[in-house]
Amino acid sequence: MKKIYLLSAVTAGVLALASNANAYDSTGCGLGSMAWRGQSGIVPQVLAVTTNGLFGTQTFGISTGTSGCDPNGRVTGGTGKMLLAFLENNMEQFALDASVGAGETLTTIAGILNVDEGSLAVKLQNNFGMLFASNDVDAVDLTLAVMSIAKA
Amino acid sequence: MRYLFFVSFFLWSVACFANDLALSDEWMALGHYQNNKSSIDSSNFFLSADGKDNPNDELKATIELFNSVDDTKKCLFPARYLFLKKQGLIDVDFPKCEEFEQFKKDLQPAGVTLLFTDAYMNNPSSMFGHTLLRIDTQRKGTQLLAHGANYGAFTGDNPGPLYALYGLTGVYFGGFTVKPYYDIINTYNNIENRDIWELNLDFNQGELDFFVAHLWEVGQTQSRYYFFTRNCSYMLMEMLDAVRPSLKLAKKFPLQAIPLDTFKAVYNSDGLVKNVNYRPSRQNKIRYRYKKMNERQRKIYLQSIEDKKYDLPSDVSDEEKAEIWETVYQFIQYQYVAKKMEVDDYRKQSFDILRARSKVKIKNSKEQIENVTSPLNAHESMRLVVGGGIRNGEFFEEIAYRPAYHSLTDNNYGLHKGAEINFLEAILRHYDNRDKFVLQNLDLITIRSISPIDKMFVPTSFQVKANIERWQNPKKEKEGYVGNLKIGMGGAYAFNDWLNGFALFDTKVSYGGFLPHNSMCSLGINLGVLADFDKWKLLAEVEPWWASQKIGQIMQYKIEANYLLGTNLSVGGHFLYEDKQGNDMEEASLGLRIYF
Repeated sequence: MKKIYLLSAVTAGVLALASNANAYDSTGCGLGSMAWRGQSGIVPQVLAVTTNGLFGTQTFGISTGTSGCDPNGRVTGGTGKMLLAFLENNMEQFALDASVGAGETLTTIAGILNVDEGSLAVKLQNNFGMLFASNDVDAVDLTLAVMSIAKA
Repeated sequence: MRYLFFVSFFLWSVACFANDLALSDEWMALGHYQNNKSSIDSSNFFLSADGKDNPNDELKATIELFNSVDDTKKCLFPARYLFLKKQGLIDVDFPKCEEFEQFKKDLQPAGVTLLFTDAYMNNPSSMFGHTLLRIDTQRKGTQLLAHGANYGAFTGDNPGPLYALYGLTGVYFGGFTVKPYYDIINTYNNIENRDIWELNLDFNQGELDFFVAHLWEVGQTQSRYYFFTRNCSYMLMEMLDAVRPSLKLAKKFPLQAIPLDTFKAVYNSDGLVKNVNYRPSRQNKIRYRYKKMNERQRKIYLQSIEDKKYDLPSDVSDEEKAEIWETVYQFIQYQYVAKKMEVDDYRKQSFDILRARSKVKIKNSKEQIENVTSPLNAHESMRLVVGGGIRNGEFFEEIAYRPAYHSLTDNNYGLHKGAEINFLEAILRHYDNRDKFVLQNLDLITIRSISPIDKMFVPTSFQVKANIERWQNPKKEKEGYVGNLKIGMGGAYAFNDWLNGFALFDTKVSYGGFLPHNSMCSLGINLGVLADFDKWKLLAEVEPWWASQKIGQIMQYKIEANYLLGTNLSVGGHFLYEDKQGNDMEEASLGLRIYF
């Protein structure tokens, strides 16, 4: 059995080359200080794009370090920090949910801010043009805007 | 003196009791012992010098630790503490452990969920799917703020071309990492376009606390990673066993731990799963939404993604507009991740659409997903075929065994449509006339991805096959073994819901002692149709080959059909004709396919 596994190992090696799957994820964070390694080939580059540059969050990195998660890869911190990290990593879904006036990200944000989801959703939809006034909006702008809308 | 006697009696009885306890299922599972050897390789997981192979010594050393003053070390073993305390073997308090407390504070555990992500055909290491755990959160809102715990191999930044070999032979170490669940959704649903299935486990508070404590213990360690045996999915079985030793999940996977098999095993464990949940990939969300649209909506939708203009005709109803815009938005996200769009353009289009969408005050245009086929109802991974047939006028009986995983004509319920992985399939035949047993074929691996191109998605279809087969040289009557490596690429098209056609351009290198100069290269064009009539699966292929050496042109025709008798039983057969402008070959066979 071992020999056959080895033989298939060689085959799989060829396949790996053929499908260009030899790049592994090294971005992200993990339990203790271990790095999170993805499973898959093209993930790392794309993941880096998604978590770091999707909506241009590079301008801000003070409280969250790199790629929006804390060094241990966990959801942590107080309201503002958590909201920022969440928006940094979920902006594309948040934008959709805010425009629709419903969705999982709005439920989550209402939970983080401890406000009523229904009224937050209405306010976000009504203020969508203000939230995404510019195409260059980043996570910091959004966090501040969401917090002030939620309070209003 | 009397006091001393009691103390020594107490210690003796503890030691004695500990002996039995060391062999208990609980301790074995907690130390990840399989046949008295732990699966964990990090030395910091063991307190006794021979703890890896000696559960008894390890137990004694653990009792000693908790009776000592080494709080730093105690903090690494909160689950062992809970275990010993419950057994009455120690009577001390657990120290204040800042890091562990912070871990629990961040996680705010509310439950445990096993996640299965379906196959990802673009990477051999993900073709069998993947499993990971989620620690559900008590945080208000949704499970987006929960955490995934993933067991994976640490391959370094640039693993290089040998990573597959290393992954199979245990060169890499594996370990647990934790990440917010929203990151996991992004990775699997949105970037790799893979569905996620969630099994909510029915753990009580004690089991949940124990799980979190044990995850902390194992989270500090690493173990050798073997792609087929000690892999991501296998380790999770040991984790669940540690929480509930009566499950004995790890023992079910001594040879191979295929993610879907482990997922099913958990689902089928008595009293373990309370709920099943489905999170479609982005691509599937787009597909569901598109399917739900009416004819006119589809037309407008396709036109707008083609023209990249998103003003919709004024006579379209608000509800229809909302559906179109939301689907277009998802499609743009898909395009961007697929690197078919620049960031500026991507942002402009995304926000333009959503600004328009936000003005339509309709909320309930969420995707309604119907007719999802659950992988839990997919056929079993191992396959045995018993049958017979006729080859060039000679009758034969055959038996074929395949440890994993799925062929194009197998029952595809719950699995990736058009994705084939045959791993280590061996066909043994007995030929009647010659009264001879031969190994007819050994597939090291066959991978085929027949993925239709449509108006939205343009996937590449491909195949890779490495096998050893008996083959008849057209210029001689002689048969012999040939080793083949075939790689092909092309495209597929869906004529309708049940009929796909494909064309692949193949190159093949073959090696065999009886071939002229021992080897041969050939080019082929593989044309085929794949039909899916519920109970009937049909594959018809034709492939002209142009071979080097003196072999010349070979024409191959193949028809394969399979009739499903149940999830794990079917009758399949094939007809094969090879026109070799010399010694032609024809073969027909019929067999019972048993999946187990």
